[in-house]
Amino acid sequence: MSASLPLLASIGAGAVWRATALSASPGAVLASGHVLLDQMLPGGGWPVGAAVEILQAPGVHAEWRLLLPALRCAAPGAVVLVGPPHVPFGPALAAQGLALQSLLWVAAATPAECGWASEQALRCADVVAVLAWLPQMRPEQLRRLHLVAQSHRKLLFVMRPAQAQQESSPAVLRLLLANAAPGQGDALVVQLLKRRGPPLLQLLQLPARPARLGALLALSEPAASGHRHSGGAIALDRLAATA
Amino acid sequence: LHWIALQPLLDVAGPGPVGPLPAGAVGAEAWADALTALGWWALQFTPKVARVGNALLLEVSASERLWGGAGPLLRHIFEVNKPLAVAGYARGATSLIALARLQASGLARSAPDALPLRALAAAQPHLGTLEKIGCHCWGQLRALPRGGVARRFGAPLLAALDRAYGLQPELYPWLVLPEVFEASQELTAQVETAPALLFGARRLFQQLQLWLQLRQRAVRAIELSWTMDARRDTVQRGALVVHSAEPSADLAHLQRLLAEQLARLTLPAPVLYLHLRTLETPPHAGETASLLPDEQRQGERLPQLLERLSARLGSAQVRQLQPGADHRPEQRQHWQPVVNAMQMRAEGALLTGVTGQNHSNDATLCPTWLLAVPRKLAVRGQRPLYPGPLTLLAGPQRIESGWWGGAECVLRDYFLARSETAGLLWIYRERLGAAANPQGADLAWYLHGVFA
Repeated sequence: MSASLPLLASIGAGAVWRATALSASPGAVLASGHVLLDQMLPGGGWPVGAAVEILQAPGVHAEWRLLLPALRCAAPGAVVLVGPPHVPFGPALAAQGLALQSLLWVAAATPAECGWASEQALRCADVVAVLAWLPQMRPEQLRRLHLVAQSHRKLLFVMRPAQAQQESSPAVLRLLLANAAPGQGDALVVQLLKRRGPPLLQLLQLPARPARLGALLALSEPAASGHRHSGGAIALDRLAATA
Repeated sequence: LHWIALQPLLDVAGPGPVGPLPAGAVGAEAWADALTALGWWALQFTPKVARVGNALLLEVSASERLWGGAGPLLRHIFEVNKPLAVAGYARGATSLIALARLQASGLARSAPDALPLRALAAAQPHLGTLEKIGCHCWGQLRALPRGGVARRFGAPLLAALDRAYGLQPELYPWLVLPEVFEASQELTAQVETAPALLFGARRLFQQLQLWLQLRQRAVRAIELSWTMDARRDTVQRGALVVHSAEPSADLAHLQRLLAEQLARLTLPAPVLYLHLRTLETPPHAGETASLLPDEQRQGERLPQLLERLSARLGSAQVRQLQPGADHRPEQRQHWQPVVNAMQMRAEGALLTGVTGQNHSNDATLCPTWLLAVPRKLAVRGQRPLYPGPLTLLAGPQRIESGWWGGAECVLRDYFLARSETAGLLWIYRERLGAAANPQGADLAWYLHGVFA
């Protein structure tokens, strides 16, 4: 350690990253909108110009809850969805603050076309973020996308199945999303699999719902054991009255 | 030395540089195409370019200063990428001297008096007689008395001689760029595959680029057509039209679109000729660039990206959202091909998403993913399953609409439901089913959305 100190001094303190500390991200970041998550991410937000890999078990869909707060604050520009699993429901996305004019949906048939379309979108000057669902993507293709995002300074989120966590990945950030366990409320459970910093063992619980929906859920969850239907109906009516 | 004569290098044998090009001769079309291409290219150096025989004449007295003198101008002419190889060039104080010097490299530095008479177009009919009286070069003819020459050989020869020595003004029909770009090219080799056509057409594209630059136009639509070998018993012509939503002075984007379309094309016969034509060329105002480094964004613009994606993946695969004013979830939004939307916006016919924004408040309780086709859920007891039993959290939210549409009629009760594995779901129950079965034994449940 003592031998490395002069070396460290000659390089400069900022150029060396100690594995015990979070790396100060060299590039720009965009705040994720989740305070808890921001504290755990290097630089305090999503890295701009790097691939972020989001893993989800089959049947789990939580990507919008995680990403919408950041996309809402991103610079004006197109948000391109490549190969989404379902139809994005515009009115709900608009209600949560996403500009619908900027939303583009590219439906590609083959994995190769998905990869090509993602790369072309990353190269476009007017695109601000690319959300790509690439279940069958090889690491070298992902690396290629990562490099394109890096050279064009774009947000790139790649959604992949949870099995992919066994494979190596060039993404600088890997997250595993899950829904809260039954009876544990409605939080979004995020596990940081990879980041530039010490490994994070605990799970992050993000209360990521729009206010009205969150209020409705909070009202109806206790009633789940008893009179389900009537409780929910009352909640809906009450909300309609306040709106 | 204000005149420059140029001659293109072609495989096809043509007539000598002196004398008109006979119409219908072998290779006449190829020569005409080549001279047009070279002439347009030469227009960037001087506005006075004329075609004489199979040579080009450039009058550069007015533009020499712009290019920094005769030397730099000549260097430009030789260094700038030409559409065709140039076989020879010559300079002269008058056009006829330059033309005569173009005939043989040995004449490049000879004085006008020493130039041979066979290099003068007007002297061609009288060459035999002139030889017999011992008159071989311009100087000898000029020394003869003018009256006698006029009586014997006619006034045109004398007038040509005066023009050659600069005693009379030289007038030519100057080359003018046409209003619509239309150019043809004979391919040097037969082309069998469609993607290779683009490579064969690169000279035409260079020519078009030059035309756009000189006429200050941008291009919105072009047509590439080709003539195929008539010996095959198939159609002889084929064409491809490429449109772009935004006019551009840069052809790279249109060429990429063309490449995408050509990649999906099979040629029934080898192609011999290519033709390129512009369909829409609005005036080009130029682009305002910023001096600040932050504002210089790299990469292509969004419309170009969308057109390229649509060209490769199919126009229906690249979609943009158009809100709809309806209560039925599937009618509240329309994902329509983005190319249509761009055209509609260009025509000013697109409603800019007003309706979706107004109702945005009640959409907070809607899911972010919608299933394209509602998925029928299995039912155990009276509880829907997906894959385990679902817990209903809130509802019903009743949606009744579309009674005017027949099959589109919607009578549904929507519920928020929680699945142990899949999270928060949006499911509905068909109300018609409930009415038909008062016992409620066979209620049809459907999954319609996921709160992602």
